Amino acid sequence: MSKKNKSQANAMDDRMVAVEKEPNLFKAAFLALKNGDWAVKCSALWMGAGYLARKQYVKALIMTLYEVAMLAFIFVVGMPYLADFGTLGTVQLEYVFNMQTMKNEMNDYDNSFTILLFSVITFVAIVILFFSWLANLRAVHKLQKRAEAGKHINSFKEDVKSYLNEKFHITLLSLPVAGVVVFTVVPLIILIAVAFTNYDQQHMPPDSLFDWVGIENFTRLFTNGLTATFGYSFKTVLTWTLIWAFFATFSNYFLGIMLAKFLLNKKTKFPKFWRTIFVVTIAVPQFVTLLLIRNFLSDSGIVNSLFAQAGITDFLKDIGLVAEHLDYVPFLSSPGWAKVMVIIINIWVGVPYQMLVATGVLLNIPADMTESAKIDGANEWHSFWKITMPYMFAVTGPTLVTDFVRNINNFNVIYLLTQDVYVTTNQSLALSKAKEIDLLVTWLFRLTQENYNYKMASVIGIMVFIICAIFTLVAFRSLTKGDKERMFQ
Amino acid sequence: MKLKKFLALAMTGAMALSMTACGSGDKKDDAGNNTSNTGSDNTGSNTGSNTGSNTGNASGAKEEVTLTMWGAEEDQTMLREMADAFIEANKDAVDLTIQIGVQSESTAKDTILTDVETAADVYSFPNDQLNELVAAGALMAIPDEMGRADIEARNTSGSVAAATVDGKLYAYPRTADNGYFLFYNKEYLSEADVASWSTMLEKAAAAGKKVTMEMNSGWYTYGFFKAVGLDSTLAENGVDTLCDWNSTTNSVKGIDVAQAMLDICKHEGFIATEDAEFVTGIKDGSIIAGINGVWNANAAQEAWGDNYAATKLPTFSAAGSEHQMYSVTGCKLVGVNPHCKNVGWALKLADWITNEANQVKSFELRGNGPSNINAAASDAVQANIAIAAFAKQQQWAAVQTVGGNFWGATETFGQTLQDGNPEGTDLQTLLDNMVAGITAPVQ
Repeated sequence: MSKKNKSQANAMDDRMVAVEKEPNLFKAAFLALKNGDWAVKCSALWMGAGYLARKQYVKALIMTLYEVAMLAFIFVVGMPYLADFGTLGTVQLEYVFNMQTMKNEMNDYDNSFTILLFSVITFVAIVILFFSWLANLRAVHKLQKRAEAGKHINSFKEDVKSYLNEKFHITLLSLPVAGVVVFTVVPLIILIAVAFTNYDQQHMPPDSLFDWVGIENFTRLFTNGLTATFGYSFKTVLTWTLIWAFFATFSNYFLGIMLAKFLLNKKTKFPKFWRTIFVVTIAVPQFVTLLLIRNFLSDSGIVNSLFAQAGITDFLKDIGLVAEHLDYVPFLSSPGWAKVMVIIINIWVGVPYQMLVATGVLLNIPADMTESAKIDGANEWHSFWKITMPYMFAVTGPTLVTDFVRNINNFNVIYLLTQDVYVTTNQSLALSKAKEIDLLVTWLFRLTQENYNYKMASVIGIMVFIICAIFTLVAFRSLTKGDKERMFQ
Repeated sequence: MKLKKFLALAMTGAMALSMTACGSGDKKDDAGNNTSNTGSDNTGSNTGSNTGSNTGNASGAKEEVTLTMWGAEEDQTMLREMADAFIEANKDAVDLTIQIGVQSESTAKDTILTDVETAADVYSFPNDQLNELVAAGALMAIPDEMGRADIEARNTSGSVAAATVDGKLYAYPRTADNGYFLFYNKEYLSEADVASWSTMLEKAAAAGKKVTMEMNSGWYTYGFFKAVGLDSTLAENGVDTLCDWNSTTNSVKGIDVAQAMLDICKHEGFIATEDAEFVTGIKDGSIIAGINGVWNANAAQEAWGDNYAATKLPTFSAAGSEHQMYSVTGCKLVGVNPHCKNVGWALKLADWITNEANQVKSFELRGNGPSNINAAASDAVQANIAIAAFAKQQQWAAVQTVGGNFWGATETFGQTLQDGNPEGTDLQTLLDNMVAGITAPVQ
């Protein structure tokens, strides 16, 4: 695995060097405008001109159509919305019932969200057009130089062929990039924009308009008072989110490795059978398992009646783990119990994945290392901590980081196990619709789904992003310090 | 190495991005629907179909109208029959198509507010969602010329009041049974026993059984405070809530009520349950009495058979005297979405679904208590045990109108009592915190 990575990285490095030799896009476009001939300069206005001059008729047509389509979208569809972007609309919905036609006659009202959405799409379209305009200038300038040097100029067929051969990476990447722009970049910009508006239940389109409010929502997230408790709730939820992410990640990680170790041990009987058993948990859809467990563990659920019959509930009461007046164990309904339970259940749900990953890595540990350690007198325990774990860390370090980030956003386990079951007893949390057991994402989700508080949800979404970004940066920095791979060569 | 690092970073970054962005991805979808709808709304209602219907009338052809209607899953067959009858009754005037979708009434508001423009044209919901639906512009005020006076005359005044905001009638009352009362098992409890919480709890504890109600819900706990004259109402702005449940000046103080509730919660004969647990409890025999509503009448009747009984709510003891517990005057309502393209026909459909004949049908098929005065007066309705109990409770019932912050705060307060106030917090502090939460401005 490591060797392959290396050669790939090398190849990419080479490519990088090749790219760096060219001037950057802005400079190239500027040079094209300055030094290009009339056709190149013409294509600053009409993107097809440069190709037409070199007799690339199909390309000229495509670029012309592209330019017309983009400009038409920006000016015809986008501009009316963009004009309202500053106010997010001013005309409130009104309607009168017309007895004659039996229909409601509505005024030409503004929908703040549509304005925001189309403005953002138009912005993105403008940026895309701008960069393709620059790239186009560079391309036609290059074309001009080729023509002047008497080099061969590609026909359309040859161009298409090149995208299937030496430029195949562009063909491959174009769809994912378009997907990222449409499904990630645009919604993300909208999410960020909403954080600066008052989009909530009192300002819901189409009936009402929402408006820009500056950083008011961010201030609210960090202030705390008797009637505004977002500051307190954010602190509480963030703390638990980090605790959860830590325990959920490392419990799975270590137990996964140990399980893999155990299954790889020569003394273990029927390893395949055991492995299959554990992998079955992956095969069952997670939400089914989680909802079933929630029912099993509910206050009047099957586990509680078994516990009560077996006297375990009374025992737990005696040792003070269950409050005196309860006749059930509040597995998922009291803060302490619920927090421990979700971590344990998460182990059960998540360990099989980690086991599979660890099995692969463990099989890759050079046997001579462990053998020579054995000869040097190291016992199993020593060789586990001195050889296996450092090796695991070096290879799976990056996945550990992504796991941590994934757990910060681990919506399923928490939401499915505690929704409708867990009720907070803390009024400050209740006021900002949070619960002790909430992660930032589940809080965000309920804010939007149950309270339509899109503005605060967006602010929390941005916070989640910042936290994940900072964590990822810091963790990767320390992980990639020094060349650990070489250590094991 | 540098590039590799960058790649790894970019990938984790993209992962975090895609995760945080998933919420807004949904929103985008909705917005897509929005825009396509506004487009067709504007052109459709202002030009297209107007001229369409005008020319249609001139040439004598029938107008084509499509309506969508949402109702509870268990009402689907009944609604289909009613809709088909409506189509039949109007077949000379209009070519109707009615699509019926499943939407649980208890979560109707959540689905509709997510995107008002794509929500159903006609939908059924409980009256405690009325204010928020009106505030979001999801309900059409019934115009006078569409027979408002008739609706107000044929339904009980309580149900009309529950459908009215600021003097405008926003929905058609469909049932008048959405309140709570007491179910009990005659095998263990007599009518005298269930008159008060204390006797009932003692008897239940002695029999090793439980009495139940939902404590962590402001809908139910309202009944304790209202009983002594403490109230929770909607503020002037129609969004926030006013509340004096922590009163120290009332003849029975807030703390006395809280103490009474806590005593009930801590009693050996009491268990707090939610709706589903209530049904489980009466089926397995552990619960012999409970506060609940008509929607569980069939379950109780099946479980208890001849011993099935229902009556008004019990009294509770606070500040040294007994107080009759209150209930809410609740109804199921049918509303019309103003964004509907054929709102006139939608209003007529809603009117049809809730007329006398269909309320009788709804009682016969689904056991719903009619809001229609004539339908409610029928012998069959009067003989229904659950509906009779509901009716008996009505002299101690009020329409509950509260703002958005009421529910979370009362839920938390109820949960604390239900847990037996484990940290021993001063009850007045609990009340003050709850009232601070209830009355906090919605933001």
